[in-house]
Amino acid sequence: MLKATLRSFLAHKGRLLLSALAVVLSVAFVAGSLIFSDTVSRTFDRLFASSAADVTVGPKENLDETVPSGATATLPAALADRVARVDGVAAARAEAEVEDITVVDAENESVSPTTGAPTIGSAWNPTGRSPVELGSGRAPRGPGEALLDARSADRTDVRIGDTLTVVAPPGSFQARVVGIVTFTTTNPGTALLFMDPQTARTKLLGDAGAATSITVDAAPGVSDETLKRRVADALGADRYLYRTAGEQAQSDVEELGGFLDVIKYVMVGFAGIAVLVGVFLIVNTFSMLIAQRTRELGLLRALGADRRQVRRSVLAEALLLGLVGATLGLVTGIALAAGLIELMGLLGMSIDTTEMVIGWATVVTAYVVGVGVTFVAAYLPARRAAAVSPMAALSDAEVAGVGRPLRLRALAGTVVGAAGAAALAGCAAAAETGPATSLLGLGVVLTLIATVVAGPLLVRPVIRVLGAAFPALFGPVGRMSQRNALRNPRRTGATAAALMVGLALVGGMSVASASMTESFDRQIDKTLGADFVVQSGNFTPFPREITEAVRGTEGVGLVVRSAFTPIAVRLPDGDRVETTAAGYEPRLDEVANITYARGGTASALAEGRLAMDADFAREHGVRVGSVLPVEFRGGRTAELTVGALTDQETAEGFGTTGGIYFGMGTVERYAPGGQDAAVYVNAAAGTDAGELRAALERTLDPYPQLQVRDLADYKQLVRDQIAVLLYLVYALLGLAIIIAVLGVVNTLALSVVERTREIGLLRAIGLGRRQLRRMIRLESVVIAVCGAVLGLALGLVWGVCTQQVLALQGMTALAIPWGTIVAVVVGAALIGVVAALLPALRASRMNVLAAIAHE
Amino acid sequence: MSTPAEHVPGLASAGAVAARARALTKSYGSGETAVLALDSVDVDIARGRFTAVMGPSGSGKSTLMHCLAGLDTVSAGQVWLGETEITGLKERELTRLRRDRIGFMFQSFNLIPTLNALENVTLPMDIAGRRPDPKWLDQVIDTLGLRDRLRHRPAQLSGGQQQRVACARALAARPELIFADEPTGNLDSRAGLEVLGILREAVDELGQTVVMVTHDPGAAAHSDLVLFLADGRIVDEMGRPSAEAVLERMKRFDVIRGPFDRSPGTARSPGTDRPIGTERPIGEG
Repeated sequence: MLKATLRSFLAHKGRLLLSALAVVLSVAFVAGSLIFSDTVSRTFDRLFASSAADVTVGPKENLDETVPSGATATLPAALADRVARVDGVAAARAEAEVEDITVVDAENESVSPTTGAPTIGSAWNPTGRSPVELGSGRAPRGPGEALLDARSADRTDVRIGDTLTVVAPPGSFQARVVGIVTFTTTNPGTALLFMDPQTARTKLLGDAGAATSITVDAAPGVSDETLKRRVADALGADRYLYRTAGEQAQSDVEELGGFLDVIKYVMVGFAGIAVLVGVFLIVNTFSMLIAQRTRELGLLRALGADRRQVRRSVLAEALLLGLVGATLGLVTGIALAAGLIELMGLLGMSIDTTEMVIGWATVVTAYVVGVGVTFVAAYLPARRAAAVSPMAALSDAEVAGVGRPLRLRALAGTVVGAAGAAALAGCAAAAETGPATSLLGLGVVLTLIATVVAGPLLVRPVIRVLGAAFPALFGPVGRMSQRNALRNPRRTGATAAALMVGLALVGGMSVASASMTESFDRQIDKTLGADFVVQSGNFTPFPREITEAVRGTEGVGLVVRSAFTPIAVRLPDGDRVETTAAGYEPRLDEVANITYARGGTASALAEGRLAMDADFAREHGVRVGSVLPVEFRGGRTAELTVGALTDQETAEGFGTTGGIYFGMGTVERYAPGGQDAAVYVNAAAGTDAGELRAALERTLDPYPQLQVRDLADYKQLVRDQIAVLLYLVYALLGLAIIIAVLGVVNTLALSVVERTREIGLLRAIGLGRRQLRRMIRLESVVIAVCGAVLGLALGLVWGVCTQQVLALQGMTALAIPWGTIVAVVVGAALIGVVAALLPALRASRMNVLAAIAHE
Repeated sequence: MSTPAEHVPGLASAGAVAARARALTKSYGSGETAVLALDSVDVDIARGRFTAVMGPSGSGKSTLMHCLAGLDTVSAGQVWLGETEITGLKERELTRLRRDRIGFMFQSFNLIPTLNALENVTLPMDIAGRRPDPKWLDQVIDTLGLRDRLRHRPAQLSGGQQQRVACARALAARPELIFADEPTGNLDSRAGLEVLGILREAVDELGQTVVMVTHDPGAAAHSDLVLFLADGRIVDEMGRPSAEAVLERMKRFDVIRGPFDRSPGTARSPGTDRPIGTERPIGEG
């Protein structure tokens, strides 16, 4: 039996190759993502572990910052001296390190990375653990001197002796480059600027007596844990945050983790799609192989093989395929990971590909996924194979599976579909985001299953309609291709399903993103009243000096500053909500249109007052006049009175809950050291908007991180951000398409083989090669478009339901991207044409006589 | 039965010729293993006649038909359909020739399963983009008694009905020549007789030219002329044949080849190409 299995495996290697490709793709994405994240984590683990001081003392953080406030938490630099006196301390240094400074060269060009990675300014405290060393030049001495990292220097052509402008929170200053530092370990992609410690403190922190952390080296024989305890005892355990080298590295890795997680999730998403669509392809391939071999299997049965042996034989074939696919997938995954690492290199994160980590967990996962998927997918066809009767060997019966009734599928599809529809209806009707999202997820999964199960029944009407014009357009060739597509609805259904799954996702996501864009557009139109908004490209705050420069620009009438700060507010119902609050200058009404349920901007921004979203307030028992204890960073607290309740469509953005805001004065009083997040500008009376814009852009020339945006620019900005989501969708679409094309090729190739005699007959009675190719191409197109139509229909339903959930979050607009939908259908037709290339060529090359004589 | 010295079997002595071949040679393989299927055959197919081609298995009768019909390429020699030399025509021209000027009937799998009877009948003309002549089409359909079966798919038709549809397809375009390859091979005797009667009628009433390849002496008896092939050559012909006479003639091949002949060329698989001369009722397909 094993011998027969092996023979059969090798005999069908062409067809199996297509299935193997699906397995390879799935495994490659799984393995690639694992290898990549393992490699990156190990690289950074090492970097952070090697560069962290034995013990680090940092300021205590009572609130997490989800939206950057621009403030840098500090502690007194003098602590370093106190720490140095602790028993077991070899050395203690006061560090000054500020992220998100901007460095500009003499031509006002930014020296900062273009990738969005931060530019970090720090004190030059070289130790054996520094991740950098002085490559050329000398150490900085006194104000006006700095070191720059080699990568940034190379990229922007900065040399020793050049003068840079550094835009730091306290203000801009000039520094001459006196040396270039190079990374001794992996460069995580950031730009680094070093100054002598005194300069760093005054220029970056604005306070010669402040430090961002104290790093402590242990004396020989003193463990990190012991040292940490002693330092904590000396300074007061509750006053500061103490971390050993291990803990510090851990926390650094976690900080970076968010970014790595995104890449990981994307890869897992791809792997998921590849697995899902791959399953269809494998089920299809095995079903076809078995249909083709009905007589052979019948003969085996007639010769005495029992059902279990037949089933095992098929499953053994699947196992082989899974093993081969997983092995190739693992290799492809390694290549994929290497490619990703190279890509990271382009983004400035230089990881050595020779450092690649291929853990045993990766290998095991690859084989489990590869073999598991194949095995599961082949199980049903194997059962069907086992059910072949010995009589099949003798009769000339039609291919198995064609004539079997689809009643069970109809029933199952209807039941699951009804449940899915109910879930989606429930989601659309739900009033709360939480249950609505769960119902949406459930509905999506159920309707997807229902559509796949009922696929063979759905393709019939769809293809009848799609191909209705074929006979008129393409004559007998069109008629035959339409009917051929309907000949085996199971096969057509399964083939179309592979394309359907991917396109349903695309349809759903494109409706959701179009609706989001539309909602944001409307909201921006409604709320933004300013002529211009000055903001940095990546929304990081900017120093006050820039706001003042904007205010001083000719033609500027009104300037309204805004800032963010993390707060924790204790609500009357006992909840403590950590969120980000905004602060605005008083004349907010002139640059924004805010709808109030109670009160107004004046009462919202008055001293000691705050405003919040009316719904949020109702939920937590807050009323106008309620006095709320509010906690700020650094442990400062205030009692603020609710002055106004807002009734905005979207009160909540990313990282903010409750839509809380107050006057700029409150921010400056309780959360000092922050920077401005955005500045709203109105033109002075009689100033042309175009002129003002030009003037503002001239003002901001030395600050390349900032942009001037009007209403249209602002909408475009939001659109671009949502577009990132769409790019992901399109990448998914690409993968789904590749696999679906394989499926269509597979189906057509089998159909061509099965219809060899029919093709021979057609050729004998005068069907030209070109006509034959067209016939197969049309069949392919109708199958592909059928998959697209079913998928998009499903996706539209999902998209509309998703929009209903988004509406609960205030994104009330529904937009259907018809352009995208039409493009997808046209694209599907093209896919059909491409998929038919090889099968059509094969059919047209078929020898007429051999085809007639084919048994 | 003996061949007159002045007449070479297979060549027409007078009258119009629908197709002819000269020095037609077809060999498969090359060098030592080459098999000669047709050995310099000269043949004329008389227009308006019903010609049967007979011969034992491996005699080359099917190959002859394939070469005459432009389905197969020749190794040497020339073939004409009417005045057109088809040897040397390009693939596309051959396809067009088959479509427009030749009708085909095969032993089995004659019809496209997805098309109904009428669609199958008009398929060659549909492919060509020509409209069938409605009067002629009606006549053919009525002659073959297919009027009430036109909307049926092949799967809904009996074997005899399917062959009649195939016959109608061959006739519908009024081709110069109809090739029928074992048209009764898969039919019971009654349906077989019906199909043979229709072919006969096509020649007599509709003035068509039919070439039929068969191994069945009873089927050959319906023809005007039987050509006997053996070892790639036309060895004999018989005008106005009777089943008994054909059977007698065929038996002589068996005697010559005898029981010693075990070459692969004469391997006979049951059900498709039964040995000639075995005790079978005449007329059974």
